[in-house]
Formats: sequence, structure tokens, C-alpha cells
Amino acid sequence: MSQIFPKWADEAPKRILIGVIIFLNAAIFGVWYFFSPEFTDVGYAPEQPVPFSHQVHAGQLGMDCQYCHTQVTESRYANIPATQTCMNCHNQILTDSENLEPIRDSWETGEPIEWVRVHMLPDFAYFNHAAHVSVGVGCESCHGRIDRMEVVQQAEPLSMGWCLDCHREPEKHVRPVEEVTTMGYTEENQLEVGLDLVAKHNINAPTYCQSCHY
Amino acid sequence: MSDQPKQTTYWKSLNELAQNKEYEKFVQREFPEDATELTDQVSRRSFLRVMGASIALAGFASCRKPVQKIMPYSRQPEDMVQGVPLFYATSMPFQDTVTGLVVENNDGRPTKLEGNNEHPSSGGGTNIYNQGAILNLYDPDRSHSPKRNGENVSLSDFISFSAEHFSNRDQRVLFISEATSSPTQNRLKQQALRTFTNAEWVTYEPFSENNAVEGTQLAFGQRLRTVNHYGQADVIVALDDDFVSPHRHQNSVENAYRVSANRKVTSVDDTMSRIYSIENNFTATGSYADHRLRLKTSEIEGFTYALASRLSESVNGLSAYNGIENEFSDHEWVNTLAEDLLSNRGSSVVSIGKEYKPAAQAAVAAINLALGNNGNTVTYHELPYRENRDENQAFSDAVREMQNGAVDTVVLIGTNPVFTAPADLNFAEALENTGTKVHLSDYFDETSRNCDWHVNHAHFLEMWGDGLSYTGQRSVIQPQILPLYDGLSEIEFINTIITGEESTGYDLVRETWQSYYPSDFDSQWERILHDGIEPDSGFGDVNVSLAADFDSAIQPELSYEPVSGIEITIKPDSTLFDGRFANNGWLQELPDPMTKISWDNVAMMSPKTAESLGINPERSFSSREVPVVRISGGNSTIEIAAWVLPGHADDSITLTTGYGRRNIGRIADGVGVDTYPLRTTSAMLYQPGEVSTTGQSYDIACVQDHHSLEGRDMIRSASLEGYKEHPDFATYKNVHGYEVPGMEEAREEGNEHGPISLFTETYGSYDDQPQWGMSIDLNSCFGCGVCTIACQAENNIPVIGKREVSRRRIMHWIRIDRYFEGDEDNPGAYHQPVPCMHCELAPCEQVCPVAATTHSEDGVNQMTYNRCIGTRYCQNNCPFKVRRFNFFNYSKEFVATGDDPEIIQMAMNPDVTVRFRGVIEKCTYCAQRLNRGKINAKIATGSRKPVDGAVQTACQQACPSNAITFGDITDQDSVISQDKRNERSYVLLEEMNVRPRTSYMAKIRNSNPELVSPPDLPSH
Repeated sequence: MSQIFPKWADEAPKRILIGVIIFLNAAIFGVWYFFSPEFTDVGYAPEQPVPFSHQVHAGQLGMDCQYCHTQVTESRYANIPATQTCMNCHNQILTDSENLEPIRDSWETGEPIEWVRVHMLPDFAYFNHAAHVSVGVGCESCHGRIDRMEVVQQAEPLSMGWCLDCHREPEKHVRPVEEVTTMGYTEENQLEVGLDLVAKHNINAPTYCQSCHY
Repeated sequence: MSDQPKQTTYWKSLNELAQNKEYEKFVQREFPEDATELTDQVSRRSFLRVMGASIALAGFASCRKPVQKIMPYSRQPEDMVQGVPLFYATSMPFQDTVTGLVVENNDGRPTKLEGNNEHPSSGGGTNIYNQGAILNLYDPDRSHSPKRNGENVSLSDFISFSAEHFSNRDQRVLFISEATSSPTQNRLKQQALRTFTNAEWVTYEPFSENNAVEGTQLAFGQRLRTVNHYGQADVIVALDDDFVSPHRHQNSVENAYRVSANRKVTSVDDTMSRIYSIENNFTATGSYADHRLRLKTSEIEGFTYALASRLSESVNGLSAYNGIENEFSDHEWVNTLAEDLLSNRGSSVVSIGKEYKPAAQAAVAAINLALGNNGNTVTYHELPYRENRDENQAFSDAVREMQNGAVDTVVLIGTNPVFTAPADLNFAEALENTGTKVHLSDYFDETSRNCDWHVNHAHFLEMWGDGLSYTGQRSVIQPQILPLYDGLSEIEFINTIITGEESTGYDLVRETWQSYYPSDFDSQWERILHDGIEPDSGFGDVNVSLAADFDSAIQPELSYEPVSGIEITIKPDSTLFDGRFANNGWLQELPDPMTKISWDNVAMMSPKTAESLGINPERSFSSREVPVVRISGGNSTIEIAAWVLPGHADDSITLTTGYGRRNIGRIADGVGVDTYPLRTTSAMLYQPGEVSTTGQSYDIACVQDHHSLEGRDMIRSASLEGYKEHPDFATYKNVHGYEVPGMEEAREEGNEHGPISLFTETYGSYDDQPQWGMSIDLNSCFGCGVCTIACQAENNIPVIGKREVSRRRIMHWIRIDRYFEGDEDNPGAYHQPVPCMHCELAPCEQVCPVAATTHSEDGVNQMTYNRCIGTRYCQNNCPFKVRRFNFFNYSKEFVATGDDPEIIQMAMNPDVTVRFRGVIEKCTYCAQRLNRGKINAKIATGSRKPVDGAVQTACQQACPSNAITFGDITDQDSVISQDKRNERSYVLLEEMNVRPRTSYMAKIRNSNPELVSPPDLPSH
């Protein structure tokens, strides 16, 4: 009696099984890695209507973050400044720069400049800037070295797990309130200083759901 | 107290009382059989199109996150901090009063209205119309532009028409306006009457104060407003005067907070006032009262005279009523009331519903005068804007003049007489016989359709205006947003007609107010805009004495004859009023406080009357249908669903107005039955009628048996005497006769907090955080429903439509259960608001397979929408039935099909997620407010705990009678801790050991031992 299946067919189930396992593992890894905010969101640097350089303003000129983002200590939002703020200087400096054309237009017409949002949290997550900067979470901790960015890009994944890294161990990240806007802040005894700061500011970073989701 | 504690039986419906099989089957199911099926696509969509809302993102093109734009101001406005709401004072006009409000504005959009603490008509509280107003503002069905003969035209067309048409100053112009207290409108009215030499101005309200004012004319010879100070009275006799309900009394909020303040019993040494209510249908006041007598509407007058007659034997000033004999002369209530009133002279109030005829009003005024109440609990005030005449008569005369074709131009200011005017006046026909018709209104409504010109009215949140509180304090109405549809306010409209030019309300109001502050106007004006009220103003008291010829003048008016057969009573609707709130989804869906019917009006009748008509008082549950009756009165007949309301007077049928609108908007159209055809000038309140069954039936969405707790002990109550005897009557042990199971064992283990439990105790582990708790005082709750609407506004809760409601899907996070007690013909009634209990050992948390519902460190049972996969196990396991499931994607439906989706989105609270299909939601104790409070406290003081009172939930803030207290229970001095320590405090289903954070305070009734009348109150 001739064989119905050729010899290699004996190997087929094993190979298929191995193939499926490899494929599933690859798929899981693929989703885990490529679908995570770490991969999809970090580095997001959309083109802005005005090529505003944080590197120049915050880096070279050393302007404080709060010169423009004035409401960060009172509001959940760190506001994008009104055109007025730009014009404080740029009615004197670079008054005929082509790049600043939209700024002057906005100033004259009263129409807003349509900045593209870089750091986007989902609508079901509540985040409050004021609550963080008032206890010593530095701008840099979430936004990275803004002073080195020609174009602002997202430096951290802003995922829930990333938030919780700090909420669970705030002492590893907090700094004195007066250093909040400092870029490149380092502290050798971070843990020791951090624990002091946590005690001083009565920090109790919540980790329950409804502190952010409601 | 007997050894076996008496268990009072509280029941929600006649079916529950009878405990029939169908009822048991109904309540045992969490949802009816078809709850998860979508069987009615068309009607569902049409409702969804209008309500629910969503956040539309900037674009869906990218498969990455959608690109969002940030648009900062060009020039930053002062005080504007993005993300921090701003609060401005304004006031809401309603008939001829205003209620002071504080409006929360998020990024320039008004999103929530709160009461103004400084304003006497509010006292920090609100009513359902105030809370619902925000949805009216964003109603896409409001008229968008002026119309000429139904065609859209521009505002400038109307202005040029006015300039031309009204340049003829000698034409016969008839102005018909809604009642208003606005000083500016009154100034313009005088100006109009001077400008047009042949003009007439009448005020028309379908449910006005006119009869009450005419009553004082009869009694005192002066037309005055009667202000009853219910809060200062020890004995209140309310003759069908539902003074805590906004649809029956213009000053309901002030009445509610003042009367409830006088009835807050915190210890056995406290006293409380005693309220007697005499009425035909069950009202909120009747359910709140200590004693209630049901009488036909047509008998109230006779009862009043009998009471006056009895009092005339003991006090002077009632000689006109001496010797009156009628069927109530020997009524035990007349004797008891007379006795109680006589022993509380000077500190009692007798009041009567404003709809009753002037002679009855005069009798009540004479009684108060004779009892020495004037100046103490009753004051009289002259209304500066009111004409010295019978306004109803003036309106009828004006309409007859229109019928005769003698009017050249009629200008209608914000009123809708084609829908609401007495049927015998035939207002639509009168309009046909009139030359030019101009109408200012919110909607292109029944009257607008019969007019040449329609001008769209600006919402009060969009306009400048002013007004007076019920007692005359001046308030400014300041706009919170530019008109969404470019409407005109009343004063701009009138001024355009007078001058033919466009004007701003701002200038008109300021011009009026200049006369109040001749010097230093600008700083005074700023103060008014900030405070919202001028406290140093008000109507002066008028000293009154009985008119000289009172006895002889009143005699012919005293002829009184009750309706012998069935009477038909027509009253304004509890949620839609006269129809002006008909297109408001929140108010349409709010169940009536007593019938618990949402989305419809019905003919209310007693069980006995129903039986005599051949209607089975017990509803059939399988069909949700109720029989339809045909009701004839005068020359009209309507067909309407019959509804059996325990406690309704026999041989009396109550109808409500405002339903049966046509072509107004997507919410209002086709809901309910128009009852105005039965209402005529001779029968404004009641009339004899004929009722018969039609054999047809009609679907009614009634929530009274939804979320039923099946007769478990939810309500605890006692008489004041019983309470003083047994202050601990509300404890579990005294109600059930034994201690909570497991408590003894826990005590042995040294745990006083609660019985032993299998689950891990959480209490005490988070003392460094505030631990939130709520207490609801049943002694202060009228069941008005303002907490439900405030919650809906604050928490973006969707409206789901009648069919969805009847499938038990109603989304309200705080429902109000209404319980009856005792005899089905004459029961007592109780209201119990039920939000989430935030159990410390929550049963819902233990069954969630994905940890979507968990406990927070501040003791709140939290719901995380993103984790929820919609198993509904938690809903099944919740003993209080407070969890709600999004069966459909209400929000997305709306965005996909709505024609103006952005408008309703503007009403949404930006701090609260709009929920999507397939997730459970429920009361969060207003998590957004808790977090805001905690963050603010942390930034300001570094403390983790906000100070007591800094955090208020939306329901607590809205409640006019302060029935709800909320706060941190770890703070021993907080109001909430005091309430929880009170001996009246109890929790629901204590035997289940779920440890609710929401507790209740037992109801106390100050019953009169003399009156052995139902409701028969328990002795403990």
C-alpha cells in the first residue's frame, strides 16, 4: 500500500507548532513594543506654524519657563502664551523676520495662532500642572531637556505606567520647588534630599484610579 | 414601646402593597426581558440625536492620535486662567421674580448654575428650572433667526420694519407680555405707552398670581403681594398651597430653605413647626406635611370658609364668616386646625394656592389678619410694576378687542397664548383678526406660526437685564456668553419697537440703574455685578386693615358649591410648568416627584375613582401600558392615560399642562397630551367633567418600581413625640428588635466600627487623607428632584428617551425613591434620594473581574470607565441598585447623527469624562470636585485635607433645603461628623455589613395628637 502522505509530513505538525509559537511571540512582542506610547509617542515633533526655538529662548537666552507659561502654578494647564507675550520682545527684536510673520498677523488681527499640541493625554486622564510644580516636580522630569530642543518633541511616553513610576516613588524624582524650572538639575544624594522634600511638602502622590480618571 | 417593635410598611406602588405575582417577577429581574435588545431604532435615534454629547476631536484622519490644536489668545483677557473656571453672579427671571445665581464658566462657556448665597430667593439653593436652564441655553431647537411669515430674515430687516411700521404713533397697539419684575422693562413699558398714544399693555401668564392679588383687593382694598414667612411660623395650614414646588410657587427655593431650617431636629430639645396640608392631588408639600387631608379642589373653598367661621367664634375680624354652615362645619380638621391656630396666634400661617378664586384668597387674608399673623409671619407688599386692575380680565378684554378687529398691531413679548390662553378666548382666531402681529419668543412656537414677525429671544444667560426678587431686592442679569443665535432680549426688543433703532441691553439697564445710584455710579454698578444683588432694596411692608365694607362686599362672593360628580382640576406641570420647559430633555426625563412618571402627563386619580371608572388600580407590568380615558369638560374632550395615585382625592382628576406641543423641537414634540383645551376663563382651576374609558391603552415610562429594594427597611420615621420619648428609635436594634448580626462578635474582638467581616477592613488605614461621607436628612427632603438635575448637569449624564426609560435604563446617578405608607386611599409619603452608598466593603468591588471598580484612599468607591468591560456583575451585586449601564453609545450616536452637535457639547462639564457604550457609571461623590478641593488645599496650605465646607457635591449645593451634608468624617468637628453622630442617623441594609458612607437621618413628623387622622404615624 502506497503512503498517502509523504515522509516530510511527519514533521509538519511539529514545524507548524513551532512556527505558530514563533509567530505568536513575535506578535506579542510587536504589540508590546510597537504599540506602546514609548514607541508611538516619544519623539513626536510636529511642525509648528511658527518655528519657535526653545533652544534659543530657554537655552541660549536662558529665559525662565514661567516667563511664557505663566499659569502653570495656578491651573491644570501650562498655558501656551498669548501672542501678546511674544510681542513683548518682538515688537523691538527681529521686527521684520519672515518667520515671525504669523505672530505679527495674529497681533494685528486678533486671530489666534494655531499651535499643534505635542503632549497629549487622553481625555479620560486628568492631569494638573499646578499640583505637580507646587511640590517640586520639575518641568524637565516630564518634558525632557526643552532647552536643547530646536523643535519641541515628546521626550517621555506619558503612559500610565510611566506616571506610576514616579507616583510610587516620588522621592526619586522631586526637587526643591525653586529648582522646578531648572534644566539639567542633578542631585547627588537624590534619595536623601527626596525623602526630606516628600516630608516637607507632605507629598502623597495618589495611586488610586479616581485621582486621575473620572 | 412594646416588646415586639412595630414595623411600619412602606411601599412604592399599589402592586407592591398587594404583593402580586407579576410585581415579584418584575422586581426580581434587574432588567426587563428586552432590556438588552434594541427593538426600536427610530425613536431611540431621534432622542439620541438631541441629547447625550461627545467630545469631537479635531480630526480622525490620522491613524496616530488625532492632531489637536492649541489656540491661545492674541491678547490675554484679564482674570482668564485656562482650566480654572470663573464664577459670575447673575439671576434667572421666572414670571415676575428672579432667583440669584452664580454661573460657572469654563473657557467662556457657562456650564453649571449654582445658587447665590447672598440672594434671598436662593440662599445658595436652586430649583429644577434653574438647574435645567443651562440645557435650554444650548438647545439646538431654539429659534436661530427672526422670521417674516415663517421665512428667515436678518435682524436688520426687523429693525427697518420696526422703524417704518411703528413710526405711526397713533395706531392701536396692543402689547402682551409675560409677567416681569424688570425695572428696565417697566421703564420701557411706560415709555412705550407715552410714545404710542393709542396703546394698551396687558400682562398674561397662564398661572399667575393675579387671583391672590385680587384677593387682597377684596380684603384690604389694595392690590398687594402676600408674602408668607413659612420659616417663622409654628403652625402652617396650606390650603392646596404647594409652596416648596417651583411650579406652584414663585418663591419655592426661599420657602424650602426657610421652612426646613425651622424643622431641622438635631436633638430632643429641638422643636419644629407643624404643617397641615389640604389638597386634592398629592403634592410635595403634602408629602412633607405632618398632616394631610385630601379634599376635592372644589371643596377647598368651602373648607376655608368653615375654618373662618369656626375661628370667628374666638377672634375678631371674621364676622363676615360668622354663621356659615357647610359640610365642613363639623369636620374634625376644622376644629383641630382652629384650636391649633388659636393657640399659635401671631406665629401661624394660613395660605392658599394662588390659583384659587379671589374670595377664597380674601378669606385667608382675613384669617391671618384676625390671628395677628400680619407683620410676623405674613407681610404684604405693593408691586411697583403692577397695574391696579384685574390682569386676567384685562387680558380677556384685550383678546375680545382683537377678535373684533379693532387692534392694528399686537406685540407679543415672550408669551405663547395660542398654546396657553383659555380655550374660550380662541387666541389664534383673535390673531387672525389683528392687523400686524409681532412675536418675541425662544422657539418658533404655536403663537409665532400665527404671527407676521417672529424675533428670536436671547436666553437669560446671553443678555443684560434686571429684576426683583420675590421680596423686591434688585438684581442684575448679566450675560455669560454672547448670544449663540443673535437673539434679542425683551428690553432690546421693546426699545427697537419704540425707537426703530438697534440698542444694547447694557446701555438700557445702566440707564435705569443710574437713577438708583445718582452718585458714584460706576463703583456701585461694579459692586452689583459682583454681588448680584442690592441688599438695601426691597418692597416696603404695607400695613393693611380690613376694607371698611368687607362684610357686605364679600357676602355675594361667598356662594360656594362643590362639584357634585367628578371634577377636573388643571395645574401646571411639575417639570414643564406651563410648557415653557417642554424642549428640555433633563426636565422631561425627570420623574414627577409623586407619580414617578417621566416623559408624559397623565390624568391622576384615586384608586377608588379608578375602580368606579372600571380601571384596575394595579398596573399590568407585562405591557407597561395603562388605560386611556376620555375626559370632557366645557366644549372640549381630550384622551389621556389614566394614572392611579394613592392619596389623591376621590371623584377628582388632576391634569397637568405643558405637554402635547407640536413643531417646537425634537424633545417636546408629540410628548404627552395638551390639556389646555379644557381650560376656559370660567374654569381656570377646576370644572365638572365627564370621564369614561376608551378601551385603548398607552405606554407610560414610570420609574416607581424600578430599582426597587423590595420592602426592606429603607425609611425610618417617628413622630416628634415618639422621638423625644425614644431618641434612638432609628437604630437597627430598635427597628428590628435585635442587634446587627456579627456586632457582638466584633466587639469581643475589640472592633467598634462594624460587625465582623470576611473582607479586609479598610477603615482607619488612610487617616492621612480625608474620608468622604454623606448624610441625607429625610426630614428636609421634599422630593423635588433638583439634586438629580444638578447631578445630571455636573456629571454629563445623558438623556435617553421615554422608551429607554421604560426599559429601566434611566441614567440618573441620584434617584429619588418615593414611598407610601399606610392605607392605599390616604397614605403618607416619604422621599428618599439614593446616590451611590460608597460602601467601605462594597459588594460591587468584590465581583468585578477586571478591577474596574475599586476603593480609593479617600474612601470613595471608584469607577474606572476604561477598565470596564461591561459584564454588569457589579450592577447585579449592588444591593442599592445605584449603578447604571450605558446600553448604547449615547454620545457617539449623537455626534454621528446630530445636525448641530457642537452646541450641546458646550453644555458638558470639561472635567468629567463623557461615557461610551458598554460601561457602568454611577455617583462618584463628584470626584472632580473632590480632587479640585484637595489640589487647592494642597497648593494653598500644604494640607492634604480641605477645610470643612470647601468641597461640596453638586446635589448638596443645589438642594434648597440643605438636606444633604457632605464632608470629611475624620474631622470630628465637621458638619458631616455631627450629622453622623446624630441619633437619627442610620444606614441602609446595615445587616449586610457593607458599611455605607452615605447615611440617612430619620424622618420626624410633628403630628398633632388631637388629630387621629391618617397617616397614622408610628409611635416610635
